[in-house]
This record gives sequence, structure tokens and C-alpha cells, in this order.
Amino acid sequence: MAALPTNIVQGDLQDQKTADYQSPLGVTHTQTATLPGIRTQSGFTFEQVDVAYQTLGTLSPARDNAILICPALSGDAHVAGMHPDTSRPGWWDYHVGPGKAIDTDKFFIICVSMLGGCGSTTGPTSLRPETGKPYGMTFPPVTIRDMVVVQIRLLDHLGILQLFAAIGGSMGGMQALALAVDHPQRVRVCIPIATCTSHSAMQIAFNEIGRRAISNDPDWNEGNYNADRRPIRGLAIARMVGHVTYLSESAMTHKFGRERRTEHSASGDEATSFSVESYLHHQGQSFVKRFDPNAYLYLTRAIDQFDLFEGGPAAEVLRQVRARFLVISFASDWLYPPVQSRELVRQLKRANIPVSYLNLETEYGHDSFLIENPAFANVVRHYLINEYVHPPN
Amino acid sequence: MYLGIYETVSHWIPEKSRVLDLGAGDGAFLERLVQTRQVVGEGVEKDAELVARCVERGLVVHQGDIADGLDQYGDQTFDFVLLLGTFQELVSPADILREAFRVGRHVVIAHTNFAHFSVRLQVLLRGRTPMTQFLPTHWYHTQNLHFFSILDFQDFCRETGIQELNQAYFNIRGAVRFLPNLRAEEAVSWLQLDPISRRSVTVERGKTKTEPYQI
Repeated sequence: MAALPTNIVQGDLQDQKTADYQSPLGVTHTQTATLPGIRTQSGFTFEQVDVAYQTLGTLSPARDNAILICPALSGDAHVAGMHPDTSRPGWWDYHVGPGKAIDTDKFFIICVSMLGGCGSTTGPTSLRPETGKPYGMTFPPVTIRDMVVVQIRLLDHLGILQLFAAIGGSMGGMQALALAVDHPQRVRVCIPIATCTSHSAMQIAFNEIGRRAISNDPDWNEGNYNADRRPIRGLAIARMVGHVTYLSESAMTHKFGRERRTEHSASGDEATSFSVESYLHHQGQSFVKRFDPNAYLYLTRAIDQFDLFEGGPAAEVLRQVRARFLVISFASDWLYPPVQSRELVRQLKRANIPVSYLNLETEYGHDSFLIENPAFANVVRHYLINEYVHPPN
Repeated sequence: MYLGIYETVSHWIPEKSRVLDLGAGDGAFLERLVQTRQVVGEGVEKDAELVARCVERGLVVHQGDIADGLDQYGDQTFDFVLLLGTFQELVSPADILREAFRVGRHVVIAHTNFAHFSVRLQVLLRGRTPMTQFLPTHWYHTQNLHFFSILDFQDFCRETGIQELNQAYFNIRGAVRFLPNLRAEEAVSWLQLDPISRRSVTVERGKTKTEPYQI
């Protein structure tokens, strides 16, 4: 068998032991701004919204080098560099930094925690102004498009009229697409990665399993749980299911095979399990420490509800779009299969939008954009620099 | 020789044309067309690494197999569709040609001439599948699926309602003007659909027949 690719063994930067990991960016900080409110698609009005965001690099004097990075489901504003409190690297530190795919020496990077998530952006854990208690399940349903409106609020706050680029994988790709469609004047280049214009039945089905695991946890209590008694068993199972869908069969075979490991419990008992089992347990346990169960329900609902073309036929919806596109999919991604990206590409091309499409042969499944991935990094880097240096007429 | 083909083709393409390069490879030729003819170009390439090279050159490129069709493009999106690499390697060249004429007005095709005299001599004298500088592989390794000559291709065009607007022939020494079917190793043709009949190409059970052209 060929030597095991180290990037597959290392995996992504979320929820893993990263004692040895060094980011060239050093410690990076996240800030919070309180911005004018929004009216959600569902008709709820927030008087104001808190927005947690991180910026890296320097905005050019012409203010034309800003790149918005849209996080995926489990990501937040802390995109790269080391977190000052937890010392965790940002979720995309492999690809964001000096000389990396998204080069902080050339571009001004903005990453925003999502509306309805559990970063410090307004979400179910925020306090409801009328009651002073967390929203919990009284938080209104939010959509990908609502999240994008919050991002636009932040751009207004930062004085950025037009982004150079919006880029994101998975749920982040949906945000990048919605931004290019709903706010065509605000972005020049759009890079949706491993994403789709609306979820298939299979994608909704996996999310529903996660949601049911949470809502069937006795500690969930209709969403009214206390900090010391959260439905973490349900959330951990949701995350385990998610992780299986993010990998590929061959990546799991490479990474775990049928290897077993023995673990010692606190009471001194020994238990032997397959390494894939202990990997999933570990992923579940570390995820619950940083993620809110209600936020998981809201965000997965937003993903399932998303339909880029809910406003009408694709040709009409895309008529206003001004951005140029680079669409990337991964051959081994069975959660967001390449066929969905190809359909997106077809719709964009049929609307006469310049779009390049690349289907990389990375074997890591849906997570391919989160791991160290030179082929992916190389294409993104060159595309961004070419589009920035030689903008088409 | 290939330089000659590219030189010829770039002279055929008017400035600022919309060009689709099928089998764009690393994008070198398309980049040259963009620079020298100011074309609005786009490539289709199946190999991920070559697609990445096209992106590095700043080209619009689509990773895909042209054998799967060109459904991503609307009718008559391009002025020129280029098929300069692999026509004799395509499983269904006639179907791909029909798709090319759906998305573009003109098609430029390059193909190998299997009636070159060295090929004929080798079959005649050695009694074996020929190998030449331009057919360097054994029969069991070759990518070529269809073995046809310049005359065959002309017949094919006539039978399928395709007009040859221009053609050029090459061998190792350069352009070939006399007796191309005997002396040329590579041919390149500038094609358009016969404007009167507007017939197209369909291939069924190995037979070629003509049908009214439908978009």
C-alpha cells in the first residue's frame, strides 16, 4: 500500500489536539460590533445585531482587496491564527495566512460568525432584550440570506463598498452564492466550494438525524436547558453522524482501517474499541464543549431551507449577477457530490457568467477543503491573484 | 508541425471572437489566442492538473469530458469551437461534432492522416500495424480509435452536410501543398454547417446517415 498521506492522518484543524501546531499569524483576535438591526426573511425584526468578526491583513488604500470568508456549519469568525484564550488554530489556518491560498500579505480578510450560530454573533444563546434570558427556541428561524444581510451590515460598518471576493465551502459556499446573487454590486469574484444551490433529500435526511438526536435528548427540554445540563449526548451523536458524512470510505480505510485501541476510563476500567469509534467519540466530545445544541438546530434548518433559486427560474435569478466564479468540487465528496457543483456551473454558464470549474481528485471526501491540500491551495491562490492583478474589462 | 497548425488556426480566427477550446490541455494555445487575437476564450479539459495550469494562466476553464457533451453551454454561444487534439481518439466523433455545431458557429478540427505514404508502405511491406514518429505507439497502446485519411474526412463532411471553408496540411518538414493525402501527416480543417441543407450528423449502429439539422 502507498505511504499514508500525512494530510489525511492530520485531518482538519477543528477539534483536534493541536499542541504542536504553529500558525505563522501568531495570536489573532476576534472583535464584536453592534450594528443596525435586520428584518429576517421570516418577518422577525432584530432591533440591532451583534456581529463577531475577525480581520487579517491590510485593507488597500483603494479598498479593493477585501475577501469575505464564509464559514461552514461548525466554523466561526476565528478563521486563522491562534486563539488568545483556547490556543486553538483558526478552522482554515491551513489555507489562510502569509503566502497561503488566501494570502494575508495581499488581501484583507474578513470572517464573520453566523447569525443564529453560537459565536458572539446574535443567536439562540444571546439574551432576549425583553426578558433578559437566552432566546433558546424562541429565536426566530434564520436563513442563509439573513446571514448574508448581517455580513453586508458589517461591510457597511467597515466602509467596504465592494468585496474583491467571497469564498466559502459547504454552508459557506451557500453564503458566498447568496451574496453574489442578492447583492450583485458588492462582490467581484465568487468561489463556492463543495456546495450546492439547494439540499437534496439525502442531505436533509442526515441533518434530520442530527436534529432528532438533539431533540430526543432528555436534557434538551424543548430548548430550555441550563449551562450545566445541556443535551450534549444528542449533540455529540449529531456531530458523529456529521463526521461520517464529511469523510469518504477510502479516507476512513486509510485513516482507521480495523485498528483497535485500548482506553482507560476514569474508574480504571479498560475498554478496547475500533479506532474509528474512539475518533468519533473524541470528535463528539470536543464539539459539545464549543457548540450550542439549539444553534445546531437553527443552522442545519437554514442549510436545509436554502434554495438559491427560490425567487424564480435560475436564468432570471442570475441575470443581475456581476461576479466571476470559480467553482470547486471534490471527486470523493459524497455529501455534496460533484454533480451538484456541475449543475451550478451549468446554470451559471447558461446565464453567460464567466465560471471556471475544477473537480479535484482529493480522497478526503467533503472535508477536502478543510485539510492541508496543496492542489486545492494552488488553484485558489493563482485564481485570486490573477483576478486581482488582471481584472477583466 | 504543431506550431504550424497553431499558427494557421490563429490566422483563421478573427480578433475578439468567442472561442471554445475543447481539450485545452495546459491552456498555452488558448492563452496565445487571448493575447494575440484578443479572443474571449474558454477551455474544456478533462485532466485536473491541466485544468489547474489553465487557471494559473488566468483562463476560464471547465473541467469535464467532452464525451459527456457540452450541456453547460447554450446554443450558439461561441463563434469558434476548436478540436485540435483528439478527434481520432473520440468514441463518438460525429456526436461531438454535432454538439460543437450546436454551441458554436464554426468548428476547427485537427486530425491525423492515416493515409500518409510511410503508413501505406509499412502496411504493404511489413504487413504490420504501422508505427511512425506521429504514430509512435503499438496498436495495443494507442489512444487512436478511428483510422481515417484526409479523403475519408472530406467524404464524411460531404455526407453530413458540413462545408470545409479552409484546410491546411502538415508533415514534419512543414506545410504540405501537393498530394496532401499521401504526404501530410496532420490535417486541420475550418468547418461550418452547409447553410442550405443545415443537415447534421448522426451515427447509428456504425452507419452514418444524414438528418435535418435540429437545434
